[in-house]
Amino acid sequence: MQPLANVTPFKPGSRAGAIQISNVGQVFKTATQDVVALSDVSLDIKPGRFVVLVGPSGCGKSTLLMMLAGLRQQTSGTILINEAPIPQPDPNRVGVIFQEPSLFPWLTAEENVEFPLALRRIPRSDRRAKAVDALKLVGLEGFGKRHPHELSGGMKQRVSIARGLVQDPPVLLMDEPFAALDEQTRMTMGDELLRIWAATGKTVVFVTHSLTEAVYLADEVVVMSARPGRIVDHLTISLPRPRTYEMLGGETFGTLRDRIWRHIRKSA
Amino acid sequence: MSAATLRRLIVVSLVVLWELLPRLGVIPELFLPSLSSTIAAGWNDAGEYGHALAVTLYEVGVSMLFACGGGILAGAIVGSLPRPRVLIMPMVSSLYAVPLVILYPVFTVWLGIGSESKIAFAAIYGFLPTMLSTAAGIQTIDPQLLLAARSMGATLSQRLTRVIIPAAIPTVLSGLRVGGALVIVGVVVSEMLISSAGIGYLISRYRTILDSPHVFAGVLLVLAMAIAFNAAIKWIERKASIWQTGTREGQRAADEIQAGTIQPATA
Ligand SMILES: Nc1ncnc2c1ncn2[C@@H]1O[C@H](COP(=O)(O)OP(=O)(O)OP(=O)(O)O)[C@@H](O)[C@H]1O
Ligand SMILES: [Mg+2]
Repeated sequence: MQPLANVTPFKPGSRAGAIQISNVGQVFKTATQDVVALSDVSLDIKPGRFVVLVGPSGCGKSTLLMMLAGLRQQTSGTILINEAPIPQPDPNRVGVIFQEPSLFPWLTAEENVEFPLALRRIPRSDRRAKAVDALKLVGLEGFGKRHPHELSGGMKQRVSIARGLVQDPPVLLMDEPFAALDEQTRMTMGDELLRIWAATGKTVVFVTHSLTEAVYLADEVVVMSARPGRIVDHLTISLPRPRTYEMLGGETFGTLRDRIWRHIRKSA
Repeated sequence: MSAATLRRLIVVSLVVLWELLPRLGVIPELFLPSLSSTIAAGWNDAGEYGHALAVTLYEVGVSMLFACGGGILAGAIVGSLPRPRVLIMPMVSSLYAVPLVILYPVFTVWLGIGSESKIAFAAIYGFLPTMLSTAAGIQTIDPQLLLAARSMGATLSQRLTRVIIPAAIPTVLSGLRVGGALVIVGVVVSEMLISSAGIGYLISRYRTILDSPHVFAGVLLVLAMAIAFNAAIKWIERKASIWQTGTREGQRAADEIQAGTIQPATA
């Protein structure tokens, strides 16, 4: 019998989806030198917020996400999710979506989405029902029996989002999930994601290199600088929701975008 | 015309040619006896061939066990641990280029001319490709898949059974295909070189007395063995794809992977 690993029992009354990052640092020890990837990062994320991380390449965005996911431990500071530390991955609290869809090619879309449930020994019929629901939520109804190689890039990423959603974690971490997609698909996927986010009320931490995407999606944009990775700005995006394509040309949008760009240009 | 029909046609015409060309005198019977006289020769000495086949099959079976079992085990260890990989892989890879048949006489000195020397030789012969491709299969697993599994809370053993093994299966099987074929080659060749039993021995003995029909009867048996082995591997591949997915749906995908239309797990 497998131990039911890494599952934190639900604490009633806990603030589902709250993230507290306090004075977190990460140092990579390499053969030649110690790389300070993150230094003294503090960030408080309220439940249900859509937070976007931006910053120059190598500033530690992915590293921060890995720590939030419990896939890597910080060298200093504390991270609390639902008011509890995250010493190892816990799919009941945090779902992760990577840049590459990382679907198992030998499984169908449905089986891929069921994968995290299968790990928990959830009965097949419950599993299937949840997977079908999750696939419906991402707009892939009727594609469940296909294998990854029979899906387009955008569809694969949708499956991977469905897989992140299927256990209904309060927090969703997304590391450049749309970076490999073309611009049109990327725009529609952004709108889809906002729709899902509005429908589920999850906390989303989203990494991107596209400033337009950042402002378009976010409640808050966190700007980081490189060497060592630090937070240099934290903006609230007050644009009304639902966000529309027309806003992209607006003055507020442009001002916010410029402000982020100036930070990044400075630290790059 | 479909490829399958075409393939069947080619086989049928080869069989017909095998019968006709020697009969019409286009090829001397000494070079290529007709199919019917070959089968007749085999049939007349069915006892002798049956005994030889039993010996050869026994040697192939035992060597296969060592080659495949050992190859998969060693390949899994070498593929998943960096230190043995660095130490062993370069040696094994260069060993692969050495014509190992030069070792066979040494084995006969150590183990005698009975089955043991054939088994030792064929097992080593088939071991190398099995081990190399198992190691490659494990090494080339997309680390992103393992990371994703970990992020979903997969324990170490779950990652092994649900990610590493299924992802490595296609490469391991292609190693088994090559390794198993080399085992058959190894056994038959060593029987032909120095031995007192087996099909290889029969072929080589009848060759020295220029009895072509009997030589080709042996060749036919080796051919049948190779075909049977291939069918067995195909069967295992289908079974494995069912196991990989837990459903029959996966079989179609596995068939396509085999047909080369898509690439397996290694991105
Ligand atoms: N395993 C590791 N060992 C050593 N250094 C590492 C390791 N992982 C990351 N780093 C270093 O830490 C820093 C932050 O890396 P990280 O991948 O988090 O950056 P990022 O902000 O996600 O960059 P990008 O936008 O290019 O994805 C980089 O300088 C990188 O070289
Ligand atoms: Mg990154």
